[in-house]
Amino acid sequence: MTNNTPVISCKNIWKLYGANPESYMKTVNPNASFEEIRADGYISAVRNVSLEIQKGEMLVIMGLSGSGKSTLVRCLSRLVDITGGEILVEGENLSEMNEKELIELRRNKMGMVFQNFALLPHRTVLDNIAFPLEMRGQDRHECRERAMEVIKLVDLQGREDYFPRELSGGQQQRVGIARSLAIEPDIWFLDEPFSALDPLIRREMQDEFLRLQEMLGKTIVFITHDFDEALRLADRIAIMKDGVVEQCDTADKIVLNPATDYIKKFIEDIEKSRIVHARGLADPIADEDVSGEAIDGNATILELSRQLVEDERTNIPVVSGKGKLIGVLNRKKALDLLFGSHNGASK
Amino acid sequence: MKSNFKNAIAALTFGLALSVAPMIASAEDSSDPIIIPIHNWSSQIVMSHVVGQLFQKLGNSVEYVSTDSQAVYEAVRQGDATLELEVWEGAFGASFNAALEKGGIHDAGDHNAVTREDWWYPLWTKESCPGLPDWKALNECAAKFATPETGDKGRFLGGPVDWLKHDAERVDALDINFTVVNAGSAAALWAELASAEKTKRPVVIFNWTPNFVEALYPGEFVEFPKWVEGCNKDPSVGPNPDKTYDCGNPATGYLKKAAWDGMKDKWPKAHTLLTKISFTNPQIAEMAKLVDIDEMEPEDAASAWLKANESVWSGWLK
Amino acid sequence: MNAFNLSSSNGLLVKKSFNLGTVLWMLALALVILKFISWTMGAGLPVWLSKPPNFLVWPFADWINAFFNFISEDLGLKSLTRLFASGVEWFLDITANLLYGKSRWPRIGPIPWTVIAVTAFMAGYALRGWKLGILAGGTFVWVAVMGQWKWTMETMSVIVVAAPLAIVMGLLLGILAWRYKNFENILSPILNLAQTYPHFAYMVPVIVFIGVGPKAGAIVTIIFAVPPMVRMSLLGMKKVPKEVIESGQMSGCTKRQLLWSVRVPTARTEILIGVNQVIMQCLAMVVLASFIGMPGLGQKLLQLLQALKIGRSFEIGVTIVLLAITLDRCSKAWAEKQPEHFERGTSWAVRNKMLLIWLGLMAVAFILAYFIPIAHEIKRTQAFSIAKYLDDWLDLFVRFVQPAADWLRAFLIVNILIPLREFYLWLPFWSVLAFFGFLGWRVGKLYSCLVCLAYVGLIGMSSWWDRSMITAYTVSFSVFVCCLIGLPLGIWASANEKRALKVLLICDTAQTFPSFIYLIPVVMLFGVNDVAVIGAVVVSGMVPMARYTIEGLRGVPTQMLEAGQMSGATTMQSLWNIKLPLAVPTIMIGLNQTVMFSLFMMIIAAFIGTQGLGQELQRSLSAADVGKGTVLGLCVAFMGLMIDHMITRWSKERKAALGVE
Repeated sequence: MTNNTPVISCKNIWKLYGANPESYMKTVNPNASFEEIRADGYISAVRNVSLEIQKGEMLVIMGLSGSGKSTLVRCLSRLVDITGGEILVEGENLSEMNEKELIELRRNKMGMVFQNFALLPHRTVLDNIAFPLEMRGQDRHECRERAMEVIKLVDLQGREDYFPRELSGGQQQRVGIARSLAIEPDIWFLDEPFSALDPLIRREMQDEFLRLQEMLGKTIVFITHDFDEALRLADRIAIMKDGVVEQCDTADKIVLNPATDYIKKFIEDIEKSRIVHARGLADPIADEDVSGEAIDGNATILELSRQLVEDERTNIPVVSGKGKLIGVLNRKKALDLLFGSHNGASK
Repeated sequence: MKSNFKNAIAALTFGLALSVAPMIASAEDSSDPIIIPIHNWSSQIVMSHVVGQLFQKLGNSVEYVSTDSQAVYEAVRQGDATLELEVWEGAFGASFNAALEKGGIHDAGDHNAVTREDWWYPLWTKESCPGLPDWKALNECAAKFATPETGDKGRFLGGPVDWLKHDAERVDALDINFTVVNAGSAAALWAELASAEKTKRPVVIFNWTPNFVEALYPGEFVEFPKWVEGCNKDPSVGPNPDKTYDCGNPATGYLKKAAWDGMKDKWPKAHTLLTKISFTNPQIAEMAKLVDIDEMEPEDAASAWLKANESVWSGWLK
Repeated sequence: MNAFNLSSSNGLLVKKSFNLGTVLWMLALALVILKFISWTMGAGLPVWLSKPPNFLVWPFADWINAFFNFISEDLGLKSLTRLFASGVEWFLDITANLLYGKSRWPRIGPIPWTVIAVTAFMAGYALRGWKLGILAGGTFVWVAVMGQWKWTMETMSVIVVAAPLAIVMGLLLGILAWRYKNFENILSPILNLAQTYPHFAYMVPVIVFIGVGPKAGAIVTIIFAVPPMVRMSLLGMKKVPKEVIESGQMSGCTKRQLLWSVRVPTARTEILIGVNQVIMQCLAMVVLASFIGMPGLGQKLLQLLQALKIGRSFEIGVTIVLLAITLDRCSKAWAEKQPEHFERGTSWAVRNKMLLIWLGLMAVAFILAYFIPIAHEIKRTQAFSIAKYLDDWLDLFVRFVQPAADWLRAFLIVNILIPLREFYLWLPFWSVLAFFGFLGWRVGKLYSCLVCLAYVGLIGMSSWWDRSMITAYTVSFSVFVCCLIGLPLGIWASANEKRALKVLLICDTAQTFPSFIYLIPVVMLFGVNDVAVIGAVVVSGMVPMARYTIEGLRGVPTQMLEAGQMSGATTMQSLWNIKLPLAVPTIMIGLNQTVMFSLFMMIIAAFIGTQGLGQELQRSLSAADVGKGTVLGLCVAFMGLMIDHMITRWSKERKAALGVE
């Protein structure tokens, strides 16, 4: 497998609920709307979704409740079987795996974190974390040692003998995270992991999560209904509505070029300069007019606002974190984004 | 002394076996335990242990199983219990006869003891109703036996309905100013009696002899017109020419032993012994007393009784 | 029904109020009025209107007898069930030998009482600590000192086989029912029936199919104890959150691991309640099972009661309660016990400290028992007894309360019970039928209506209509009294945690204390009549009422109470307007249980003397009449099932409406 093969790739996947989804699947028009399908007596939780997730990438699936995002992640982990389409995990067809292969896959490659923590109430923190290792049939002492390592990773030292009910929500989710990491998975699914937490804790956990990800560099599918969270974490965001992925792209591109009316409405009230990075707004290098001091492509326009106002060049060069020239930023475009264009529309 | 005794028994049984051997080839008893059912009253439990220990003297093994005294006949029929030592004519006659009809159980002879079951009162009752034990006195002092549930009429507390007494018919036939209320168990009868004793309240209840109650609460049976054969079937018999049951219960009811049909073949010697066994009223009362008054354990009571009454049972073993 | 729909076109009002339920209601009322009028005019209704008509009364008993003979004798089912029973007997023989030295394999018993008491103490200590150790050890010391050792061991030898078997069977059946919906559909009516069907009705069949003796005792105990275990495991399995299962799947569980490592342990709260119920039921059966051969405490208890030795039987009652509490607490502690972790290389002696202490203590006890006979067995003659004092107290109590009891008895019988009974018997059959149809309609429309009509109808067809009405009269009045006492008691107890715990402990005690013991004092106080019967029923029937009231009231969310306080509600107002309405669904479950307990006790109360179905059941027992017994048992069961159906249905809907659960 080369680095270019996506870790997960799904082509036209469907998940239908109803009396006889398989036979209905054969007759359905791939472009039928949610309502049309409902009129036929079926609920389309996931409709004709195609996605590719690269190694080391963090894909955030965003959508309001009922948009099908949780179902989609369960399709990817095969907690639910898809009705149509194809999912390849590291090149292997997930739907064609038998029970044993699936268990092997989950025991070695996949981890998942759940919204309501889903801890086993009768096991201590340590035993919860060691659970997937035990299921693999590992030696008790090895299990404990590995579990202790992960406990340190999520900063829960000293609580290993507590029971889940004795922990706060944030701590419980740390246990959930530690459990999903115990087997050192390559693919990490997180289903709204921070939704049940208080805002302050949520922020703290997001930081913690970013720190972990920096260290581990997993391939991640992260579900959330919180757009801010998506923007903070994502490499790419897939926005879902009624089972369909409306747009899947980087945050910059989604904000700058919303694909559908739904997304437009969604980003309407968002302070775009806070989101959009210089690299996202920059145009490709056209010709010779690139000169002078460059700006950091990873800074947001808001962060650059002072410089943008004071700098008088029309085009400002943008460099990547490593100092490589990656494009030019049109200053007027940037100022329009900051203050709104003259015709009053930011469309 | 005990071991001497054992040897004697062994020799005895050996001799017995020799003498019987020519007649029945396989007269040896099975080594399976004989199952003796025990119920919830003391004389029966002690008697069961007495007989059990006698079986053991014959070399049999014995086990006891607690059962309901009505349901036991079904168990004997099935062979799950081997025998029953106290079949009271009044209380269990119906169950026994029903089982006899279905088969699998047989009558293993009567005890010497006779049973009497009838209306009975504790002695203090006589003070309020001096005409007793004549039944006619009941009518005169009916009001003294009245309870809220019977209104003006006197109350007679009968035994459980499944003992199949014909008290209501008798009240009707003899025109007694009483209502029959059935207690659900013997224990309820005694509870009522104990409660009456505290205030010396007059009561008439169902009772029988032999019974431990006699020792605790002295009393007498009410004397009804004497039992005459046919009084329960033929209206013309007895004082009331139009009604049946115009008489007292027979003063000499049977007390039988019953056995499973298979016992004869499986434990022939024990069966022979069973048919010979016969206790008298005082003996049964003595057994009950050992437990109820002297507070002995049934097993110990049985041993004590056997020791004290060797003359009674030594003949049965021959 | 079409006819009524036609008339509905007449107007809105008619349309709204005219349905099957109303029709039944009117029918019931009309018949009652008709009978009343004809009664005032000195006439009566024709018999076919007033009682179940003859053509409807079918000879079920004969059919059942024929069927029973067919399957037991002709089909030879008997040998199959007896084969199973002999399997159970094999276990029973082992425990019987170990605990009281019955001469069976392995022929090493009986174990000295000191050894068992030490073992019990260590078990309690290892599971929870000193307190439980003392409770467990103390129970067995009490047993030994009171001279009940052999009887208790006889009882225990059956319970230690029956309870684990019931728990395992219940759990497995629960899992099967959870796994296969069809199995649940078949199982659930059987469970309902097993819980409402009176024991006396299945005594004769058990004697035929199983025989008498400890094995029969064990098997009826299992039959009686399994249903709550199945129910609770099923409930627990269903309540496991979906996410937890998914987390198990994602941890790479196989199907088996998912069941035993994830689903079952997560459902442990409910499963534990099931275990607790099994233990309580087992001890509740100690006395009843002695009717068909369970040896030990129950048999002794009946014998002592028969000889009017209340104090002594009370001691046995205390033993049964102590055993129940000990077993219950130990099983709970065991289920909550977490395995201890030891670092690699911890020595065997440290890891097995408890085991070593236990072995040491046992050795001491064995040696003591070998040299000192009293440490091996305390003879009855050496034992203590508090029976005399108990008898004196009871005597004093009865004397003291007697005047009040006499007055109460006279008042209740003359003014309430006799008129009430006459009224029940007076009610026309068709009225009662229609009335329950109407109630069913109100609760669950057509389905419940048909269910109720079927139950009442079948009772009507059984030829025991009047007897059933008498039972209904005693049960309904008892339930009324239970509510009258249990409800305020529960409200009072729920005021604070400490009080609630105390009352709940009393509830547990009252539930396990053998009900036969109540019968005698109650008869002493009230005599042989319906007051005594109702008194005995109320003692155990009010327990669930109080228990569920406490639980319902304590389960009301604090937010609701705070909202009430902020609206300026007084304590009384918040009780009436917030707590009680919200607690009603739970209290209704309590009511349901109270009805079941009352029906159960009503059959036992036949030992006092009743005129209802219980009395006839006794009679059928002595005639070994399986058919009649079954029909009577079903009459009782149908009453229970009907009430159960209505209350469950109602409280389910009520809960949904309130948004609780």
